[in-house]
Amino acid sequence: MAVSGFEGFEKRLELQFSGRDPVIGIGLRELDFKSLEQVLHQVQCTVVSALGNQHFDSYVLSESSLFVYPNKIIIKTCGTTQLLKSVQPFINHARTLNLRIVALRYTRGSFIFPEAQPHPHTSFHEEVVYLEDNIPEHLCYRKASVIPSKLTSHSWHVFSAGAVEYPDGVPYTVEMCMTDLDQTLARKFFRHPNDGKNGDSAGREMTELTGISRININPNAHICDFAFDPCGYSMNGIDGDRYSTIHVTPEHGFSYASFECVGSVYNADIADMVKKAVKVFCPGTVSVATTNASDDMCMRIKGAVEQLGMKCRSWSMDEFPAAGTVVFQTFTTRRNIRT
Amino acid sequence: MGGQFSSPSPQTFGGKVVTVKSKEDWETQLQNSKTSNKLMVIDFSASWCGPSLFMDPVVQDLANEFPDVDFIKIDIDDFKDVADTFEVKAIPTFVLLKKGKERERVVGVKKDELHRVIEKLRS
Repeated sequence: MAVSGFEGFEKRLELQFSGRDPVIGIGLRELDFKSLEQVLHQVQCTVVSALGNQHFDSYVLSESSLFVYPNKIIIKTCGTTQLLKSVQPFINHARTLNLRIVALRYTRGSFIFPEAQPHPHTSFHEEVVYLEDNIPEHLCYRKASVIPSKLTSHSWHVFSAGAVEYPDGVPYTVEMCMTDLDQTLARKFFRHPNDGKNGDSAGREMTELTGISRININPNAHICDFAFDPCGYSMNGIDGDRYSTIHVTPEHGFSYASFECVGSVYNADIADMVKKAVKVFCPGTVSVATTNASDDMCMRIKGAVEQLGMKCRSWSMDEFPAAGTVVFQTFTTRRNIRT
Repeated sequence: MGGQFSSPSPQTFGGKVVTVKSKEDWETQLQNSKTSNKLMVIDFSASWCGPSLFMDPVVQDLANEFPDVDFIKIDIDDFKDVADTFEVKAIPTFVLLKKGKERERVVGVKKDELHRVIEKLRS
Protein backbone atom coordinates (compact mmCIF):
# COMPACT_ATOMS: atom_id res chain seq x y z
CA MET A 1 0.00 0.00 0.00
CA ALA A 2 1.35 3.42 -0.94
CA VAL A 3 2.13 5.96 1.78
CA SER A 4 -0.08 8.51 0.12
CA GLY A 5 -2.06 8.83 -3.06
CA PHE A 6 -5.44 9.77 -4.48
CA GLU A 7 -8.38 8.72 -2.33
CA GLY A 8 -10.77 6.78 -4.52
CA PHE A 9 -13.28 5.97 -1.78
CA GLU A 10 -16.24 8.29 -2.17
CA LYS A 11 -18.51 10.09 0.21
CA ARG A 12 -22.13 9.87 -0.91
CA LEU A 13 -25.00 12.12 0.03
CA GLU A 14 -28.65 11.60 -0.90
CA LEU A 15 -31.23 14.26 -0.11
CA GLN A 16 -34.95 13.76 -0.60
CA PHE A 17 -37.41 16.59 -0.83
CA SER A 18 -41.14 17.12 -1.11
CA GLY A 19 -43.32 20.09 -1.89
CA ARG A 20 -46.76 21.35 -0.89
CA ASP A 21 -48.12 20.62 -4.34
CA PRO A 22 -48.75 16.97 -5.08
CA VAL A 23 -47.49 17.51 -8.61
CA ILE A 24 -43.91 18.55 -8.23
CA GLY A 25 -43.21 19.35 -11.88
CA ILE A 26 -39.53 19.54 -12.60
CA GLY A 27 -38.82 20.37 -8.98
CA LEU A 28 -35.09 20.56 -8.24
CA ARG A 29 -34.27 20.46 -11.94
CA GLU A 30 -35.40 24.05 -11.98
CA LEU A 31 -32.29 25.00 -10.01
CA ASP A 32 -30.29 27.10 -12.42
CA PHE A 33 -26.78 26.11 -13.21
CA LYS A 34 -25.24 29.10 -11.43
CA SER A 35 -26.76 27.84 -8.15
CA LEU A 36 -25.49 24.31 -8.72
CA GLU A 37 -22.04 25.62 -9.58
CA GLN A 38 -22.02 27.64 -6.37
CA VAL A 39 -22.66 24.53 -4.32
CA LEU A 40 -20.11 22.50 -6.25
CA HIS A 41 -17.56 25.22 -5.66
CA GLN A 42 -18.01 24.79 -1.91
CA VAL A 43 -17.28 21.11 -2.36
CA GLN A 44 -14.26 21.86 -4.57
CA CYS A 45 -15.43 20.16 -7.76
CA THR A 46 -16.55 21.20 -11.24
CA VAL A 47 -18.69 19.83 -14.05
CA VAL A 48 -16.78 17.85 -16.65
CA SER A 49 -19.68 16.36 -18.65
CA ALA A 50 -23.45 15.99 -18.37
CA LEU A 51 -26.51 14.29 -19.83
CA GLY A 52 -30.22 14.30 -19.07
CA ASN A 53 -33.51 12.72 -20.03
CA GLN A 54 -37.13 13.29 -19.09
CA HIS A 55 -36.56 11.82 -15.61
CA PHE A 56 -33.37 13.40 -14.29
CA ASP A 57 -30.14 15.30 -14.98
CA SER A 58 -26.74 13.69 -14.51
CA TYR A 59 -23.38 15.43 -14.20
CA VAL A 60 -19.91 13.95 -14.30
CA LEU A 61 -17.78 16.00 -11.93
CA SER A 62 -14.05 16.49 -11.55
CA GLU A 63 -14.39 14.37 -8.42
CA SER A 64 -17.30 12.05 -9.22
CA SER A 65 -21.02 12.54 -9.88
CA LEU A 66 -24.19 14.52 -9.29
CA PHE A 67 -27.75 13.44 -10.09
CA VAL A 68 -30.67 15.83 -9.92
CA TYR A 69 -34.20 14.42 -9.91
CA PRO A 70 -37.32 16.54 -9.36
CA ASN A 71 -37.41 15.47 -5.70
CA LYS A 72 -33.94 14.06 -5.02
CA ILE A 73 -30.29 15.02 -5.19
CA ILE A 74 -27.52 12.46 -5.12
CA ILE A 75 -23.94 13.68 -4.96
CA LYS A 76 -20.93 11.43 -4.68
CA THR A 77 -17.39 12.79 -4.46
CA CYS A 78 -13.95 11.29 -3.90
CA GLY A 79 -10.51 12.66 -3.08
CA THR A 80 -10.42 15.22 -0.29
CA THR A 81 -13.64 17.03 -1.12
CA GLN A 82 -15.68 18.49 1.72
CA LEU A 83 -18.93 16.94 0.57
CA LEU A 84 -20.97 17.69 3.69
CA LYS A 85 -20.56 21.40 3.04
CA SER A 86 -23.12 21.00 0.28
CA VAL A 87 -25.91 20.05 2.72
CA GLN A 88 -26.90 23.56 3.84
CA PRO A 89 -26.66 25.16 0.37
CA PHE A 90 -28.78 22.39 -1.21
CA ILE A 91 -31.43 22.69 1.51
CA ASN A 92 -31.50 26.47 1.08
CA HIS A 93 -31.72 26.37 -2.70
CA ALA A 94 -34.53 23.81 -2.50
CA ARG A 95 -36.39 26.10 -0.12
CA THR A 96 -36.43 28.82 -2.79
CA LEU A 97 -38.40 26.34 -4.92
CA ASN A 98 -40.79 25.63 -2.02
CA LEU A 99 -39.28 22.20 -1.52
CA ARG A 100 -38.62 20.83 1.95
CA ILE A 101 -36.05 18.21 2.81
CA VAL A 102 -37.68 15.04 4.13
CA ALA A 103 -34.77 12.58 4.27
CA LEU A 104 -30.99 12.53 4.15
CA ARG A 105 -28.58 9.65 3.88
CA TYR A 106 -24.79 9.88 4.05
CA THR A 107 -22.66 6.80 3.34
CA ARG A 108 -19.06 5.95 2.76
CA GLY A 109 -16.59 3.10 3.02
CA SER A 110 -13.26 3.37 4.88
CA PHE A 111 -10.70 5.82 3.53
CA ILE A 112 -7.42 4.42 2.32
CA PHE A 113 -5.74 7.65 3.52
CA PRO A 114 -7.88 8.88 6.41
CA GLU A 115 -5.27 11.37 7.67
CA ALA A 116 -5.47 13.26 4.39
CA GLN A 117 -9.15 14.12 4.86
CA PRO A 118 -10.07 17.69 5.81
CA HIS A 119 -12.73 18.83 8.27
CA PRO A 120 -15.43 17.68 8.75
CA HIS A 121 -14.24 14.35 7.34
CA THR A 122 -11.39 13.66 9.74
CA SER A 123 -13.50 11.01 11.46
CA PHE A 124 -17.01 9.59 11.24
CA HIS A 125 -17.74 11.08 14.64
CA GLU A 126 -16.89 14.53 13.30
CA GLU A 127 -19.03 13.94 10.20
CA VAL A 128 -21.99 12.97 12.37
CA VAL A 129 -21.57 16.03 14.59
CA TYR A 130 -21.45 18.23 11.48
CA LEU A 131 -24.59 16.64 10.04
CA GLU A 132 -26.52 16.90 13.31
CA ASP A 133 -25.63 20.60 13.40
CA ASN A 134 -26.61 21.27 9.80
CA ILE A 135 -29.87 19.46 9.25
CA PRO A 136 -33.28 20.85 10.24
CA GLU A 137 -35.08 19.70 13.38
CA HIS A 138 -37.99 18.11 11.58
CA LEU A 139 -35.68 15.32 10.40
CA CYS A 140 -36.21 13.81 13.82
CA TYR A 141 -35.60 10.13 13.14
CA ARG A 142 -31.82 9.83 13.04
CA LYS A 143 -29.21 7.13 13.28
CA ALA A 144 -25.47 6.85 12.77
CA SER A 145 -23.72 3.52 12.59
CA VAL A 146 -20.54 1.86 11.36
CA ILE A 147 -21.23 -1.56 9.91
CA PRO A 148 -18.14 -3.73 10.29
CA SER A 149 -16.75 -6.56 8.21
CA LYS A 150 -14.05 -9.09 8.94
CA LEU A 151 -11.60 -6.79 7.10
CA THR A 152 -10.41 -3.90 9.25
CA SER A 153 -9.83 -1.82 6.12
CA HIS A 154 -13.44 -2.16 5.01
CA SER A 155 -16.32 -0.85 7.11
CA TRP A 156 -19.47 0.89 5.96
CA HIS A 157 -20.44 4.18 7.56
CA VAL A 158 -24.08 5.29 7.47
CA PHE A 159 -25.88 8.35 8.78
CA SER A 160 -29.58 8.55 8.06
CA ALA A 161 -32.18 11.12 9.05
CA GLY A 162 -35.82 11.45 8.09
CA ALA A 163 -39.09 13.16 8.84
CA VAL A 164 -40.75 9.75 8.78
CA GLU A 165 -39.48 6.53 10.24
CA TYR A 166 -39.88 4.15 7.32
CA PRO A 167 -38.98 4.47 3.64
CA ASP A 168 -41.94 4.49 1.30
CA GLY A 169 -41.06 1.68 -1.09
CA VAL A 170 -38.35 3.67 -2.81
CA PRO A 171 -36.06 1.76 -5.16
CA TYR A 172 -32.96 0.16 -3.63
CA THR A 173 -29.40 1.29 -4.12
CA VAL A 174 -26.29 -0.83 -4.64
CA GLU A 175 -22.94 0.76 -3.75
CA MET A 176 -19.93 -1.35 -4.67
CA CYS A 177 -16.30 -0.56 -3.81
CA MET A 178 -13.40 -2.47 -5.34
CA THR A 179 -9.76 -2.27 -4.34
CA ASP A 180 -6.53 -3.96 -5.43
CA LEU A 181 -7.56 -3.90 -9.10
CA ASP A 182 -5.94 -6.26 -11.57
CA GLN A 183 -3.06 -4.19 -12.91
CA THR A 184 -3.41 -5.24 -16.55
CA LEU A 185 -7.06 -4.23 -16.52
CA ALA A 186 -6.34 -1.05 -14.56
CA ARG A 187 -3.85 0.05 -17.23
CA LYS A 188 -6.75 0.45 -19.65
CA PHE A 189 -7.74 3.52 -17.65
CA PHE A 190 -4.52 5.38 -18.40
CA ARG A 191 -4.44 7.87 -21.29
CA HIS A 192 -1.84 7.23 -23.96
CA PRO A 193 0.43 10.23 -24.48
CA ASN A 194 -0.16 11.90 -27.87
CA ASP A 195 -3.23 9.76 -28.56
CA GLY A 196 -4.80 12.66 -30.42
CA LYS A 197 -7.92 12.29 -28.32
CA ASN A 198 -9.77 14.52 -25.90
CA GLY A 199 -11.24 13.49 -22.54
CA ASP A 200 -14.59 12.74 -24.20
CA SER A 201 -13.30 10.52 -27.00
CA ALA A 202 -10.73 8.80 -24.77
CA GLY A 203 -13.51 8.13 -22.28
CA ARG A 204 -15.72 6.66 -24.98
CA GLU A 205 -12.90 4.35 -26.02
CA MET A 206 -12.32 3.19 -22.43
CA THR A 207 -16.02 2.47 -22.05
CA GLU A 208 -15.95 0.20 -25.10
CA LEU A 209 -12.58 -1.48 -24.60
CA THR A 210 -13.11 -2.37 -20.96
CA GLY A 211 -16.58 -3.85 -21.39
CA ILE A 212 -18.29 -1.13 -19.35
CA SER A 213 -20.61 -0.47 -22.30
CA ARG A 214 -21.92 -4.00 -21.95
CA ILE A 215 -22.82 -3.88 -18.26
CA ASN A 216 -26.28 -2.55 -19.02
CA ILE A 217 -27.66 -4.37 -22.04
CA ASN A 218 -30.68 -2.10 -22.44
CA PRO A 219 -30.22 -0.47 -25.87
CA ASN A 220 -32.06 2.61 -24.65
CA ALA A 221 -29.53 3.26 -21.91
CA HIS A 222 -27.00 6.05 -22.47
CA ILE A 223 -23.54 6.50 -21.04
CA CYS A 224 -21.85 9.83 -20.35
CA ASP A 225 -18.15 9.10 -19.91
CA PHE A 226 -14.86 10.93 -19.44
CA ALA A 227 -11.19 9.97 -19.25
CA PHE A 228 -8.93 12.07 -17.04
CA ASP A 229 -5.32 12.96 -17.80
CA PRO A 230 -3.00 11.15 -17.15
CA CYS A 231 -5.33 8.50 -15.78
CA GLY A 232 -8.70 7.97 -14.19
CA TYR A 233 -12.19 7.47 -15.58
CA SER A 234 -15.76 8.35 -14.71
CA MET A 235 -19.11 7.51 -16.23
CA ASN A 236 -22.77 8.08 -15.52
CA GLY A 237 -25.33 5.77 -17.09
CA ILE A 238 -28.92 6.85 -17.61
CA ASP A 239 -31.64 4.30 -18.27
CA GLY A 240 -35.17 5.64 -17.87
CA ASP A 241 -35.34 6.92 -14.30
CA ARG A 242 -32.38 4.81 -13.14
CA TYR A 243 -28.80 5.97 -12.94
CA SER A 244 -25.59 4.02 -12.66
CA THR A 245 -22.14 5.37 -12.08
CA ILE A 246 -18.56 4.10 -12.23
CA HIS A 247 -15.39 5.83 -11.07
CA VAL A 248 -11.86 4.49 -11.45
CA THR A 249 -8.57 5.38 -9.77
CA PRO A 250 -6.23 2.95 -11.54
CA GLU A 251 -2.85 3.69 -9.98
CA HIS A 252 -1.00 0.79 -8.41
CA GLY A 253 -0.76 1.05 -4.64
CA PHE A 254 -4.13 2.69 -4.16
CA SER A 255 -6.17 1.37 -7.08
CA TYR A 256 -9.92 1.68 -6.63
CA ALA A 257 -13.11 1.42 -8.63
CA SER A 258 -16.71 1.97 -7.64
CA PHE A 259 -19.94 0.86 -9.25
CA GLU A 260 -23.30 2.12 -8.11
CA CYS A 261 -26.76 1.52 -9.50
CA VAL A 262 -30.44 1.61 -8.65
CA GLY A 263 -32.84 -1.28 -8.77
CA SER A 264 -36.43 -2.09 -8.07
CA VAL A 265 -38.63 -5.16 -8.05
CA TYR A 266 -38.98 -4.69 -11.77
CA ASN A 267 -35.28 -5.16 -12.47
CA ALA A 268 -34.07 -8.73 -12.32
CA ASP A 269 -30.76 -7.77 -13.87
CA ILE A 270 -28.99 -6.05 -10.98
CA ALA A 271 -27.02 -9.11 -9.83
CA ASP A 272 -25.90 -9.62 -13.41
CA MET A 273 -24.77 -5.99 -13.68
CA VAL A 274 -22.80 -6.32 -10.44
CA LYS A 275 -21.07 -9.43 -11.78
CA LYS A 276 -20.15 -7.74 -15.05
CA ALA A 277 -18.81 -4.71 -13.20
CA VAL A 278 -16.56 -6.87 -11.02
CA LYS A 279 -15.27 -8.62 -14.16
CA VAL A 280 -14.16 -5.29 -15.63
CA PHE A 281 -11.68 -4.81 -12.78
CA CYS A 282 -10.95 -8.27 -11.29
CA PRO A 283 -10.29 -6.69 -7.89
CA GLY A 284 -8.70 -8.36 -4.89
CA THR A 285 -11.45 -7.08 -2.58
CA VAL A 286 -15.07 -6.13 -3.16
CA SER A 287 -17.56 -4.61 -0.78
CA VAL A 288 -21.23 -4.26 -1.65
CA ALA A 289 -23.63 -2.17 0.39
CA THR A 290 -27.33 -2.31 -0.51
CA THR A 291 -29.93 0.02 0.92
CA ASN A 292 -33.54 -1.09 1.05
CA ALA A 293 -32.98 -4.23 -1.01
CA SER A 294 -34.76 -7.51 -0.30
CA ASP A 295 -32.90 -10.41 1.28
CA ASP A 296 -33.44 -12.28 -1.95
CA MET A 297 -31.68 -9.57 -3.98
CA CYS A 298 -28.78 -9.48 -1.49
CA MET A 299 -28.43 -13.26 -1.83
CA ARG A 300 -28.48 -12.96 -5.63
CA ILE A 301 -25.74 -10.35 -5.55
CA LYS A 302 -23.70 -12.55 -3.21
CA GLY A 303 -24.15 -15.48 -5.57
CA ALA A 304 -23.15 -13.40 -8.58
CA VAL A 305 -19.86 -12.26 -7.01
CA GLU A 306 -19.11 -15.76 -5.74
CA GLN A 307 -19.59 -17.09 -9.26
CA LEU A 308 -16.45 -15.16 -10.17
CA GLY A 309 -14.47 -17.19 -7.66
CA MET A 310 -14.50 -14.68 -4.85
CA LYS A 311 -15.26 -15.73 -1.30
CA CYS A 312 -17.78 -13.92 0.89
CA ARG A 313 -15.96 -12.87 4.06
CA SER A 314 -18.79 -11.11 5.85
CA TRP A 315 -22.47 -10.27 5.72
CA SER A 316 -23.70 -7.68 8.18
CA MET A 317 -26.79 -5.51 8.33
CA ASP A 318 -28.46 -2.72 10.20
CA GLU A 319 -31.78 -0.83 10.06
CA PHE A 320 -31.94 2.91 9.48
CA PRO A 321 -34.77 5.42 9.76
CA ALA A 322 -36.11 6.65 6.41
CA ALA A 323 -33.51 4.59 4.55
CA GLY A 324 -34.45 1.04 5.48
CA THR A 325 -32.19 -1.97 5.79
CA VAL A 326 -28.55 -1.66 4.84
CA VAL A 327 -26.74 -4.92 4.08
CA PHE A 328 -22.95 -4.83 3.85
CA GLN A 329 -21.08 -7.73 2.27
CA THR A 330 -17.37 -8.12 1.62
CA PHE A 331 -15.58 -10.52 -0.71
CA THR A 332 -11.97 -11.33 -1.42
CA THR A 333 -10.28 -13.53 -3.97
CA ARG A 334 -9.41 -16.88 -2.52
CA ARG A 335 -5.69 -16.19 -2.78
CA ASN A 336 -6.00 -12.82 -1.17
CA ILE A 337 -6.92 -12.30 2.46
CA ARG A 338 -5.85 -8.74 3.25
CA THR A 339 -6.81 -7.06 6.48
CA MET B 1 -43.33 45.78 -56.53
CA GLY B 2 -45.69 43.39 -54.86
CA GLY B 3 -45.21 42.07 -51.40
CA GLN B 4 -44.46 38.63 -52.68
CA PHE B 5 -42.89 36.41 -50.10
CA SER B 6 -40.42 33.81 -51.21
CA SER B 7 -38.91 31.24 -48.90
CA PRO B 8 -35.66 32.50 -47.46
CA SER B 9 -32.70 31.71 -49.67
CA PRO B 10 -29.87 29.75 -48.09
CA GLN B 11 -28.67 32.17 -45.51
CA THR B 12 -25.47 32.73 -43.72
CA PHE B 13 -26.30 32.49 -40.07
CA GLY B 14 -23.08 34.34 -39.40
CA GLY B 15 -22.62 33.29 -35.82
CA LYS B 16 -26.29 33.11 -34.91
CA VAL B 17 -27.93 30.07 -33.39
CA VAL B 18 -31.35 29.91 -35.02
CA THR B 19 -34.21 28.51 -32.97
CA VAL B 20 -36.64 26.56 -35.12
CA LYS B 21 -40.10 28.02 -34.53
CA SER B 22 -42.41 26.08 -36.80
CA LYS B 23 -42.73 22.95 -38.89
CA GLU B 24 -42.24 25.05 -42.02
CA ASP B 25 -39.14 26.53 -40.46
CA TRP B 26 -37.69 23.06 -39.96
CA GLU B 27 -38.55 21.92 -43.49
CA THR B 28 -36.80 25.01 -44.83
CA GLN B 29 -33.71 24.34 -42.75
CA LEU B 30 -33.61 20.72 -43.86
CA GLN B 31 -33.99 21.80 -47.47
CA ASN B 32 -31.20 24.32 -47.03
CA SER B 33 -28.93 21.56 -45.78
CA LYS B 34 -29.78 19.31 -48.71
CA THR B 35 -29.00 21.97 -51.27
CA SER B 36 -25.81 23.39 -49.83
CA ASN B 37 -22.36 22.17 -48.88
CA LYS B 38 -22.56 23.66 -45.43
CA LEU B 39 -22.40 21.68 -42.24
CA MET B 40 -25.53 22.00 -40.11
CA VAL B 41 -25.48 21.33 -36.38
CA ILE B 42 -28.84 20.63 -34.76
CA ASP B 43 -29.01 21.18 -31.00
CA PHE B 44 -31.90 19.07 -29.68
CA SER B 45 -32.67 20.77 -26.41
CA ALA B 46 -35.16 21.09 -23.59
CA SER B 47 -35.67 23.99 -21.21
CA TRP B 48 -36.19 21.69 -18.24
CA CYS B 49 -32.89 19.85 -18.65
CA GLY B 50 -29.88 21.29 -16.82
CA PRO B 51 -27.24 19.72 -19.10
CA SER B 52 -29.09 21.10 -22.13
CA LEU B 53 -29.12 24.62 -20.71
CA PHE B 54 -25.47 24.23 -19.77
CA MET B 55 -24.60 23.89 -23.45
CA ASP B 56 -26.42 27.06 -24.62
CA PRO B 57 -23.45 29.41 -24.19
CA VAL B 58 -21.09 26.72 -25.50
CA VAL B 59 -23.13 26.38 -28.70
CA GLN B 60 -23.15 30.16 -29.09
CA ASP B 61 -19.36 30.21 -28.78
CA LEU B 62 -19.08 27.50 -31.41
CA ALA B 63 -21.40 29.44 -33.72
CA ASN B 64 -19.13 32.45 -33.32
CA GLU B 65 -16.03 30.39 -33.94
CA PHE B 66 -17.46 28.66 -37.03
CA PRO B 67 -19.57 31.24 -38.94
CA ASP B 68 -19.53 28.98 -42.00
CA VAL B 69 -21.51 26.33 -40.09
CA ASP B 70 -25.27 26.56 -39.56
CA PHE B 71 -26.43 26.06 -35.98
CA ILE B 72 -30.10 25.42 -35.30
CA LYS B 73 -31.90 24.66 -32.07
CA ILE B 74 -34.91 22.34 -31.83
CA ASP B 75 -36.97 22.04 -28.67
CA ILE B 76 -37.83 18.37 -28.27
CA ASP B 77 -41.22 19.12 -26.67
CA ASP B 78 -42.31 21.53 -29.40
CA PHE B 79 -41.04 19.23 -32.13
CA LYS B 80 -41.52 15.78 -30.69
CA ASP B 81 -41.89 14.10 -34.09
CA VAL B 82 -38.63 15.58 -35.38
CA ALA B 83 -36.89 14.42 -32.19
CA ASP B 84 -38.42 10.96 -32.66
CA THR B 85 -37.31 10.84 -36.29
CA PHE B 86 -33.78 11.45 -35.13
CA GLU B 87 -34.25 9.03 -32.21
CA VAL B 88 -33.29 11.58 -29.60
CA LYS B 89 -33.44 9.79 -26.25
CA ALA B 90 -31.11 11.82 -24.06
CA ILE B 91 -30.35 15.53 -23.98
CA PRO B 92 -28.61 17.46 -25.22
CA THR B 93 -28.11 15.61 -28.50
CA PHE B 94 -26.22 17.30 -31.33
CA VAL B 95 -26.82 15.93 -34.82
CA LEU B 96 -24.48 17.02 -37.60
CA LEU B 97 -26.01 17.06 -41.05
CA LYS B 98 -24.40 17.39 -44.42
CA LYS B 99 -26.58 17.45 -47.53
CA GLY B 100 -29.53 16.63 -45.32
CA LYS B 101 -27.95 13.41 -44.04
CA GLU B 102 -26.69 12.69 -40.54
CA ARG B 103 -22.93 12.31 -40.51
CA GLU B 104 -22.23 12.29 -36.79
CA ARG B 105 -23.89 12.93 -33.49
CA VAL B 106 -22.66 13.93 -30.06
CA VAL B 107 -24.81 13.00 -27.09
CA GLY B 108 -24.36 14.93 -23.87
CA VAL B 109 -22.27 17.86 -22.73
CA LYS B 110 -19.07 17.09 -24.59
CA LYS B 111 -17.53 20.41 -25.56
CA ASP B 112 -14.21 19.10 -26.83
CA GLU B 113 -15.80 16.30 -28.80
CA LEU B 114 -18.39 18.60 -30.40
CA HIS B 115 -15.64 21.02 -31.35
CA ARG B 116 -13.62 18.19 -32.86
CA VAL B 117 -16.40 16.79 -35.05
CA ILE B 118 -17.46 20.24 -36.23
CA GLU B 119 -13.91 20.96 -37.29
CA LYS B 120 -13.68 17.60 -38.98
CA LEU B 121 -16.91 17.92 -40.96
CA ARG B 122 -17.11 21.59 -41.87
CA SER B 123 -14.96 21.44 -44.97
